[in-house]
Amino acid sequence: MTDSTAQCKRGLLGCLGLNWFFRLLSSSIGQKFVMGVTGLLLCGFLVTHLAGNLLLFAGAKPFNEYAHALHSQWELVAVAELGLVVLFLAHVYLAVTTTIGNYRARREFYVLKQSKVPGRIIGANTWMFASGSVVLGFVILHLIDLRMGLRRSLHYFPDPEAFEAPFHNTMAALSDPISRVVYFVGAIILGVHLSHGFASAFQSLGLNHPKYTPLIKIIGKIFGVIIAIGFASIVVFVPGMWR
Amino acid sequence: MNHAASKNLNLTLKIWRQAGPKQAGGLKTYQVSGISTDMSFLEMLDVLNEQLIASGEEPVAFDHDCREGICGTCGVVINGQAHGPDSGTTTCQLHMRRFKDGDTIVIEPWLAKAFPIVRDLIVDRSAFDRIIQAGGFVSVNTGNAPEANTTLVPHHVQQDAMSAAACIGCGACVASCKNASAMLFVSAKVSHLASIPQGQGERSKRVLNMVATMDAEHFGNCTNTGECEAACPAKINLTNIAQLNREYLKASLFSKE
Ligand code: FES
Repeated sequence: MTDSTAQCKRGLLGCLGLNWFFRLLSSSIGQKFVMGVTGLLLCGFLVTHLAGNLLLFAGAKPFNEYAHALHSQWELVAVAELGLVVLFLAHVYLAVTTTIGNYRARREFYVLKQSKVPGRIIGANTWMFASGSVVLGFVILHLIDLRMGLRRSLHYFPDPEAFEAPFHNTMAALSDPISRVVYFVGAIILGVHLSHGFASAFQSLGLNHPKYTPLIKIIGKIFGVIIAIGFASIVVFVPGMWR
Repeated sequence: MNHAASKNLNLTLKIWRQAGPKQAGGLKTYQVSGISTDMSFLEMLDVLNEQLIASGEEPVAFDHDCREGICGTCGVVINGQAHGPDSGTTTCQLHMRRFKDGDTIVIEPWLAKAFPIVRDLIVDRSAFDRIIQAGGFVSVNTGNAPEANTTLVPHHVQQDAMSAAACIGCGACVASCKNASAMLFVSAKVSHLASIPQGQGERSKRVLNMVATMDAEHFGNCTNTGECEAACPAKINLTNIAQLNREYLKASLFSKE
């Protein structure tokens, strides 16, 4: 009894016995966990999203059927979308706050700086914030184009519920010069981001061991290449295929 | 030993000079000649300082103590690399045979918010001491050394603990990290004691307190670039940071702290 009243003086989190949780989330290491977990879950989304979108190579009918089958599960889609928004915002928020913190911690820069990692001149790992920012820009445009349907110039299908709408609208976005360039660059930079981020997430979760870390690093690079080529190939080839 | 290979070098040095913590600093250029390739880097700086003293100038202030790579006191950024170009080497163990006649060498102090410059190449690394203090004690008997076989430690555990304990606390990890993160240092200390029986009693408390102090001292976040590992003269491995992350999560989830 005395214990819980004493704790209640330390605010709501203390009452709930959650001070430890707050400490974890506000610590540098806790933030790395969140960064890693959200990053890996977003990787999972990328796989399903790429798998679905590769149906664009199969043509209008399979793609439309897939899109309608997906959207008919609207409860699941709503939950998944909410989850994605939370993951994405947490990932972006921590990227911004930790980058500011890191910049402040460094504060002064060397007149001359060279890496001591053998063979490294410039690596994806030092450009995570920059590459992440490019990907963020791409995702925002992509959502405006196809999730919200806010770009009049794209000539969306008149009836958004129609069977033909998903394929038509996707083609409209992919044929737009601005979207095309942004999607292409976004897909390539996303691959660069993943080539460090995937393996890095495991390290942040404390999973580094000579038994499997070399494999994780290779998988991370291959994953980055597959995602980049997968999405970029859609942008490059699909508009020409179904003109 | 091929003594015929010993040569004398003429070098241009660009050294960070800063009169005090609040003063503005900048690179100043000096010439040294007749530097033997058998000299250590610090001996080369000694030669420069003799030269400066003879001409009535302030000598360059730099930290050093053992000069045999074990105390961690020395450490400067040489041509943009912490402790210079060799891996697993402290500044005092770097030799001038690594350089060529006519080279220009840029020498800067460790730079990080948590390591304020005291003067020239000397920085204040007491933030590391405060992290160590936060780690607290280990519950072991004092007095005579205990009989070696009372606490059995398997060989592979000893090896892990020893390679973490090799950290000499020089600060090259912070200096070389683009985020000025101290995680390699903290992870070495945490892993060392978490690995052996003597460190178990305070295992959770230690990691929580050391990380809290590390964060409070304004070191940056680790982004897993691996620059620290490459710059570390004691070759502390990145797996220690993964272990630190695990220890911290475990302590957060399963300890009473
Ligand atoms: S002076 Fe002791 S390690 Fe260099």
